[in-house]
Amino acid sequence: MKRSTVKPILLSIGYLAMVYLIWPDNAYAMHIMEGFLPFNWAAFWMAVMLPFVIWGMRSIRKTVSDSASLKMLLAMAGAFAFVLSAMKIPSVTGSCSHPTGVGLGAILFGPTPMTVLGMIVLIFQALLLAHGGLTTLGANTFSMAIVGPFVSYGIYKGLQKLRAPRWLSIFLAATLGDLMTYVTTSFQLALAFPDPSGGVWGSALKFMGIFAFTQVPLAISEGLLTVMVFNLLVAYSRNELKVLSVFRADEWQKISPSKTEVKA
Amino acid sequence: MFDLDTYAYTNRWIKIHPLEKFVFALATMLVCLISPSVVVVWAVLLLMTVASTKGAGTPVWHFLRFMMIPFSFILTGVLTIAFSVSHDPGGFLFGFTFGSITVGASQANLMKAGFILFKSLGAVSCLYFLSLTTPVLEVISVLRKLKLPSLFLELMGLVYRFIFVLMDTTALIRMSQSSRLGYASAKNTFRSLSQLISSLFVRSFHRAGELAIALTARNYTGEIRTLEKEYPVSKRNYAVILGIELGLLLLNFT
Repeated sequence: MKRSTVKPILLSIGYLAMVYLIWPDNAYAMHIMEGFLPFNWAAFWMAVMLPFVIWGMRSIRKTVSDSASLKMLLAMAGAFAFVLSAMKIPSVTGSCSHPTGVGLGAILFGPTPMTVLGMIVLIFQALLLAHGGLTTLGANTFSMAIVGPFVSYGIYKGLQKLRAPRWLSIFLAATLGDLMTYVTTSFQLALAFPDPSGGVWGSALKFMGIFAFTQVPLAISEGLLTVMVFNLLVAYSRNELKVLSVFRADEWQKISPSKTEVKA
Repeated sequence: MFDLDTYAYTNRWIKIHPLEKFVFALATMLVCLISPSVVVVWAVLLLMTVASTKGAGTPVWHFLRFMMIPFSFILTGVLTIAFSVSHDPGGFLFGFTFGSITVGASQANLMKAGFILFKSLGAVSCLYFLSLTTPVLEVISVLRKLKLPSLFLELMGLVYRFIFVLMDTTALIRMSQSSRLGYASAKNTFRSLSQLISSLFVRSFHRAGELAIALTARNYTGEIRTLEKEYPVSKRNYAVILGIELGLLLLNFT
């Protein structure tokens, strides 16, 4: 190989290694930082988010209207999602990252209440941990609390209909929910900052390429973890899972006890 | 538990009306976001650093450390904007060529990336000002004055309360797991984490039930009413805020 080609390759490997080294500790699941989006885009994503949040509020209001314990349960779910996102999980490649908890939350509580809870979690992440931000709340809510949960839930329900094994549907729901969150964020960034030569698509590919280094391994380990958590829940906490079915249209009664030996 | 939260309760400006701090932080953030001039962004950064450190009493060193937290994301994003891939190596200030494609940065792109870097840091400093001076419960009371749905605000307040309860539980479980070598290897880590998460979920579930019983026993009918702290409303502060924002906007024309 010619010297002139070796140098740029080494440089780009060095750059990626640097990105990779900077990221792991702070990778709070792809939040767009405060002030990163131009005003118009920030406002646009706020407007996109609003109908979903109103829809989520409607569904929550209906469920909790006469039950204090369900309201407390929802609030606990929000705090649970926050604590989950503050945990560090080992990534497949050996580094540590923070899970999104999107898949777990969506399967447990259904996607509509998750939009509201996710938004609350994002506000607290901004105020308490300085991850994400208030101006980018709309964009972050759209990717993490709307696209992620709906994709996760859709995949989970779809695969359950197809009679796929439960571990597979949970794994794919959590992993793909995570991946779609990060793809959405990449597109949000790309729409705001199109590449001068490649346009929006080129820019989206750039962002996806950079963030793939942390997000793909993270999505896979979060998928594995979600499956393991579900196995434990199904084995020991079936009653609790049944109560949660009030938040969703379907019921948990379908879980057969014989399926609990599935291992991740 | 969170450094930002600790400062929110102990800072020097805790007695100032939360609405004033909220308006100041958000208005400055908005000005920072819509200003086309980098001078304004620098002014915002300076203003918020001085307000948080000299004004509210956060140690300068801590404030700078806080500013470093979001830096990695901003840097990664900005570098991604600065560099682009093209078949045509012309127009790049510098770049690396692989076969027929070139990865490089043009001057316009670098300028844009630098501007976004500062703009984002400026907005982050406004966010920090809010978190460092105003406790979350006061932010919620401000939002109540802005007439957000009460159910949403109640959920927010409850979530805030429960976060600390669950963080405590997590820390305890985690400590006992690690004392049994639960995090000694990757396999152990996965197993311990799944047990931690599932038992955390079950604990939260039961705690929620117990809390509902306790509240019902105290005549809870769907709303937790508490007295809000009274703060003196200062017209002078609003005038100062207005003056600062106008001044920042005028800086755009220099």
